[in-house]
Amino acid sequence: MSRAYRITVKESETRHLKAGDEICTDIEILEILPPEDMATLLREELKKRGFDEQDDGTLVRKDGEITVKVDPCTGEVSVKAETEATVNQEAKREASGYNDVGPNEKALRERTKEQLKQDLDKKFDNEQSKLQNKATEALEKHLQELQPEISEVVNQVTRDALKQKAQQMGTIKEISEDAESGSLTIKVEV
Amino acid sequence: MTRTAAPSTQPPEPEGPRQVSKFEFALLRVLRFLVGHFPADQGLQLVRQAATRPECLSPGAVDLVKDTLAKASVLFLAKAGGWRNDKYLRDNQPLPGRVWDRIPLDECTLEFSRPVLDFLLWLTAEKVQETKLAWDAAPKALTPADELFFALAFDQTRADPDVTAVLRRKDAFARNPLCWLLAPGDLVDPDAAKVTVPSFETHCTGQRAVILECLQTFLTTRWIRSERAKGQIGDWKKMRQLGNAEFAALQAFLKACEAARRTDLARFVLRTNAAILQSDMTPIFWTGGLQGSGPPRLADRLDTQRSALAVPRQMEILEAWNDRARMVGYFDEDYQSSQLWKLDWEAANGERVSERARAALEMLEPLRGPATPTGNAGGANASAADSSS
Repeated sequence: MSRAYRITVKESETRHLKAGDEICTDIEILEILPPEDMATLLREELKKRGFDEQDDGTLVRKDGEITVKVDPCTGEVSVKAETEATVNQEAKREASGYNDVGPNEKALRERTKEQLKQDLDKKFDNEQSKLQNKATEALEKHLQELQPEISEVVNQVTRDALKQKAQQMGTIKEISEDAESGSLTIKVEV
Repeated sequence: MTRTAAPSTQPPEPEGPRQVSKFEFALLRVLRFLVGHFPADQGLQLVRQAATRPECLSPGAVDLVKDTLAKASVLFLAKAGGWRNDKYLRDNQPLPGRVWDRIPLDECTLEFSRPVLDFLLWLTAEKVQETKLAWDAAPKALTPADELFFALAFDQTRADPDVTAVLRRKDAFARNPLCWLLAPGDLVDPDAAKVTVPSFETHCTGQRAVILECLQTFLTTRWIRSERAKGQIGDWKKMRQLGNAEFAALQAFLKACEAARRTDLARFVLRTNAAILQSDMTPIFWTGGLQGSGPPRLADRLDTQRSALAVPRQMEILEAWNDRARMVGYFDEDYQSSQLWKLDWEAANGERVSERARAALEMLEPLRGPATPTGNAGGANASAADSSS
């Protein structure tokens, strides 16, 4: 007489998941002064805005999970979002068998374990995908906030460069700036 | 194997059609398909079929192969643009005329070698998509005419993805610069991490350069069609592969042209951009067909969009060439060639095209845009320095 039996396999696993996203672009700095002078102006302006100078000459600012890195010499900007989380997942599987027909208990247990492992991998893949979406969303949101700031930095550097250039040309008689229209007029006596 | 120049003594033509075996008949039809003189659907059917290969070909069949290669290749080059009364650089001097007026006959004699016939035998005898016989040709052993033939063969078989997948793994195609100019997207292995492009150095001198001169109009038409078709591509991965292949091929080609001082060979890049950028364009023209939200990572999405604009991105190099050409003085060595480039640039409305390309590319960049006016810092987008004395 055959006897039915049921095997229940349960497993839990903890993994440390990491996800990241990064974009690289460059900012357009007009060559009003020689490149090294423009780089100095950019460096100073970025420092005022909380960027720290690194050993390799780049300027880095961390805003939570977002890292903004600017190379003042080339104007290259990279914005990186990184998230990580320790995730615990559990999975459970049941399988039935008969003691006289079909696979034996050991083989059945092995097969169920294998399926369980696949279930767990799938769950971790889902978690990884969620984490990736989170990193990408954070990056997109930060880019929207960063874009006006970078434009302001470029404008400020351009204004400073124009003032320095005007000083080199002669004596500055008058400087007028219109915040509304963004125009800058410098009168120079040469 | 065969020379396209007329020999001094022609053997007498046999009366009536030549007798060939069934295999030879298939081989000749495959050849005619590869050079564009036989319907593509029937030609591809022959390529996908196997046939029992004979020990050797009959002299009559060999003569017909030679005759077809000689006439079809010359006809193709003449039709592709060789007939045009154009100016191209020769010894750094612009030389006007049709290709047969500009180039001495002994310099434009096309010579085909053994790999061409081996390829035809292999293609006719084997089911290409299931072949067990490994055929390939060493790129260094190929003559300029062989390279042209293999480029045409690859171009004709592109309609069949199975055949293309087999051919793109062979050095005769994968390391053939002409194939990279004709169909870069089809040469990339979808699983390859990096695009490896052959050197274009040899194609900027000698007979290979003459072939490129003839192909200028053909390449322009081909690239314009490819650019217009990009808006229909829905698959992000495919777009990225195509764009990366195009970018790598064009960068290598322009670099070689610049090194060899043959900027005239890059006319098709300029003319393609001029034809596409006739008005202000947005990146939607290239990326509008992409389906869904694309890859999960923003970096991958941005890279795909940037890749799609591989051709407008070349305008930066062409603009730099123009800037350099403007600096060349009357007594400088490159004066004549610079003048020729400036003529091409002006004819294509280069300045305007370059501005449009730059504007389209800037639209893709995430940190470009106007600043929001804030307090007294203001958003100075335009500045001016007035000087009074």
